[in-house]
Amino acid sequence: MSVPLLDVRDLAIDIDTRYGKARIVDGVTFSVSKGETLGVVGESGCGKSLTMMSLLGLLPRKIAVSGGKATFEGRDLFALQGEDLRKLRGGRIGFIFQDPMTSFNPVMKIGDQLMEPLIHHRGIDKAAARKRAGELMRLVGIPGGETRLDNYPHQLSGGMRQRVMIAMGLACEPPLLIADEPTTALDVTIQSQIVELVKDIRDKLNMSVIWITHDLALIAGLVDRIIVLYAGTIVEEAKVDDLYANPQHPYTIGLLASLPKLTAEKEAEKYLPSIAGTPPEPGRRLAGCPFAPRCDRKLAVCETTVPKLAGLTSNNTHRVACFAVTGAPPS
Amino acid sequence: MTNITHNMDKPVSLWRDAWDRLVKNKLAVIGLIMVLVLFFAAVFGPYLTPYDFLSQNLDDRNLPMSTAHWFGTDDLGRDVFSRVLYGARTAFFVAVVVTIIAVIIGSALGVLAGYIGGNVDRFIMWLADVTMSIPNLLLVVVINTSVKPPLARWMETQYLETLNPIYRNTMWIDFILVFGSMALITWPPYARLMRAQVLSIRNRPYVTAAKAIGLPARQIMWRHIAPNALGPLIVAVSAGLGTAMVLESAFSFLGVGVTPPIPSWGNMISDGLRVWQHYPHLLAAPAAVLGLATVAFSFLGDGLNDALNPRGVK
Repeated sequence: MSVPLLDVRDLAIDIDTRYGKARIVDGVTFSVSKGETLGVVGESGCGKSLTMMSLLGLLPRKIAVSGGKATFEGRDLFALQGEDLRKLRGGRIGFIFQDPMTSFNPVMKIGDQLMEPLIHHRGIDKAAARKRAGELMRLVGIPGGETRLDNYPHQLSGGMRQRVMIAMGLACEPPLLIADEPTTALDVTIQSQIVELVKDIRDKLNMSVIWITHDLALIAGLVDRIIVLYAGTIVEEAKVDDLYANPQHPYTIGLLASLPKLTAEKEAEKYLPSIAGTPPEPGRRLAGCPFAPRCDRKLAVCETTVPKLAGLTSNNTHRVACFAVTGAPPS
Repeated sequence: MTNITHNMDKPVSLWRDAWDRLVKNKLAVIGLIMVLVLFFAAVFGPYLTPYDFLSQNLDDRNLPMSTAHWFGTDDLGRDVFSRVLYGARTAFFVAVVVTIIAVIIGSALGVLAGYIGGNVDRFIMWLADVTMSIPNLLLVVVINTSVKPPLARWMETQYLETLNPIYRNTMWIDFILVFGSMALITWPPYARLMRAQVLSIRNRPYVTAAKAIGLPARQIMWRHIAPNALGPLIVAVSAGLGTAMVLESAFSFLGVGVTPPIPSWGNMISDGLRVWQHYPHLLAAPAAVLGLATVAFSFLGDGLNDALNPRGVK
């Protein structure tokens, strides 16, 4: 087996609160190989973004990595500092943010913002950076291409800005692109355009992509593998087709069931089921499975013991953390 | 439709946008014109009148306003208009120097406090509090009476020994000492303002985005945080210039600022006050100009505030 591009083991992230430390991401383990696309799915606040931010050392104040290891291109990400970390950000790992409206500096022309990573990572001069920026604008499908470089962010629509943001993430052709809910702030027609765009560019540049979303339907045609996060832990991991065809964890089943179907015939199918309740707050996590209070297949053991990810007997690449699926541990 | 196309073809920078808003504001334009006129007077004042601001003509003492002497003459026969114009130079010089020093110290410390945080922040803000607790009038009086006289004597002996003209003009002691000390105690508001700006901007998504593309901290500071923090600073500087002018006049009025014969609106008002029943123009001229200057800066400051922070406008 080849060495994966990114390998994260037992990642744990803590937040400092008034009441002490609370764990918000716990035991997250995943890897991404070269050219592979990984989908990360889960509700708001379950630690998707923080997991990715931690890889680039971009965690906000009071939130810190407290355990685990992340290796990227053979280097320990959490040990990188200063200049090395700076070169990694943007240079080796591109990042696309969720909100294209606020992620641009309002007083700088987008061309200048797009040129910044080029000048800093590639060390090319302004004229060359501007030329490249124009090419990038064309690559991400901005009508007018380089003529838009002198626009200010407020002169572009949300979809356009998200395209520019993707161009920024891609500027230095990083081997890994992390997209943090890049379509959440956009309307539906634009969403699929953005997905198509990223897919297209990924194939052109042979990049690996991590795509964070809470929209399972959107990424079906984009990703190779999906991990489902719940309350800071991975509850299910599978190849995309396996996950859609044969979801195992009650949470994943709930998520998939809540997608609208175009073919609903029976009256009952026209109502979308929802998962009752909300994820537990960090610091108030239970002794057992974090999903137990909302789970309809809960066993006695679920309330006392945390289930571990385990491969299914039929398919070892499909792993799930649920006692109801894999059977209760011998007590 | 043409309008929209035009808008898209010619990108408008936020500064240009602010300027357009500023010139639409009548009061701000009036303030701006008055400030520019005063600035012109400050720079070219001595060349605009036929009289020297220092030359005395004892035959023409205490003349009322006339076409020859627009603001009349004072008790030494000096042309008041020339002196008021020179007073503008004094006022501008002091205001600009004091404000520049205060802004440099204040924003550097404020940005550091906001960006680094922690104990650095606590120390700088403690320093700002301590500094603000010093009454500025008292400080100027203390410096004026303790440090200035020996320094002036030293300059005098140096001049007598070396005959170097640098030591001759003691006016510079006034400026450097008194107003230097003024600058040293007026920086805290700028520091607080910049700290608050940096604290609010440093967590904005575009700053995180700039970090995520691997820009160095210096670049983030100067290209992403500073330009976005500049609006309120410009407003504060405009107001600060007006305040510094009034402060200069107040100190000169009390005799601890610019010393005669160098004209300052403050010491002219002080001189005029003794004889105002007989020669009201000696009081009216400098007082009116000082008043206009203050009004001009506050109009301009308000206008800049509306132009640069448009959310406050209805």
